[in-house]
Amino acid sequence: MTYAVGDELPPFIIDHVDPEAMKEWAIFLADPNQIHLDVEFVKAKGLGDRVINQGPINIAYMMNCLLSAFPGGQIANMTSRFLDNVYGGERIVAKATVDAIEGGKVTCSVRLDSEDRGMVNSATATIVLPPSQSSATSAEQVGNQTPNNPLSWLTWLLYPKA
Amino acid sequence: MPDMDVLPPPPEVAGLRLDGTDAYVISAQENDALCRSTGIAPADDGTAHPIYYYVATQVAMGKTVAGLCAACDFDVDDGPMMGSSEVRFSTPLRTGLPYTVSGEVLSLERKRSRKLGVMDVLTYRLRLHGPEGGAALETDNVWVLPRRELA
Repeated sequence: MTYAVGDELPPFIIDHVDPEAMKEWAIFLADPNQIHLDVEFVKAKGLGDRVINQGPINIAYMMNCLLSAFPGGQIANMTSRFLDNVYGGERIVAKATVDAIEGGKVTCSVRLDSEDRGMVNSATATIVLPPSQSSATSAEQVGNQTPNNPLSWLTWLLYPKA
Repeated sequence: MPDMDVLPPPPEVAGLRLDGTDAYVISAQENDALCRSTGIAPADDGTAHPIYYYVATQVAMGKTVAGLCAACDFDVDDGPMMGSSEVRFSTPLRTGLPYTVSGEVLSLERKRSRKLGVMDVLTYRLRLHGPEGGAALETDNVWVLPRRELA
C-alpha cells in the first residue's frame, strides 16, 4: 500500500485483551502488581471489576499498528500518553494517521481506542523506512501496498507505480 | 482540602541514580512470546520488539518498581499510574545482546488535579547501552503517584 500525508493506516485490532497475557507481562516486566493479575484486588482498590492491562502493552499495540503498515521499518522515536486504563476482555483498536513524510522517515499520530469507551492512549511516532520504501518519499508517498483513502485509491488506480 | 501552600513538599529525589548493575539480554524465546502476546509474529532478522525499550530499562534499572516508588515515599500498592513515556532510539534492539542501564530521576513535583486530588508527578530518564557502550536508546517516563492521604 502507498501512503500519503493525511492517510490512515490499517487499524491494528485486539479482539479480546487477554488476562493471561497480563500474567506473562508481569514476568517480562518483573512487576507483579496485583491490579494486573487479581480481579478481587482491583475491586478492593476501587479500580473497577476487571484486571488492568499493563501500560507498556498498550504502547506495543500502537507500535504494532505502525510496524504492520511499514514492514521492515524501525521506530526512531515515540511519545505516548496514557489517558485511561485498558481492561481485560476489552476490544481495542490502534489507529494511525500519516502526518509527515520526509527523508525516508514517516511521522504518524497514533491512538488506541476502547470500543466501548473511546480513546485511552495517544502517541506520536517517527518511523525510519527501509530503503525499498524510502525511495518513494520524494513523491510524499511511502509503502508497498495499496492506499486506503478514496483520493489515494484514485491516484493508485490511475498511476499504480507513482 | 488543604491549600497548596500548606501541602508538605515531596521527597527530594531529583538526581537519584537509577544505574543498573546486571546486563539484560532479550532472549529470542521471550521476544517470541512477547510479540505473540501483543498479536504479531516476531521479526525474523534478530531485531526485538521495540517495546523492549520499556521492558529492558525497567527490569535492568537499579531499582524495582516498588523500590522506585519507595524512594518517592509512595507505596506501590497505592497504584502508581503511567502518565507518559517517550523513547528515542539510536539503534534497533536485538535479541541475544547484553544491554545495561544508566539513568536518574529528573524530578518529583507535587500537584493538585481535579480528577485525582493531590498527586506527585515523577519523571525519570533511563538509557539502554549496548555491548559497545553507546546508548541504543534514551527514554523519559512520567508516573503519577496519587497522594490520597493529602487530598
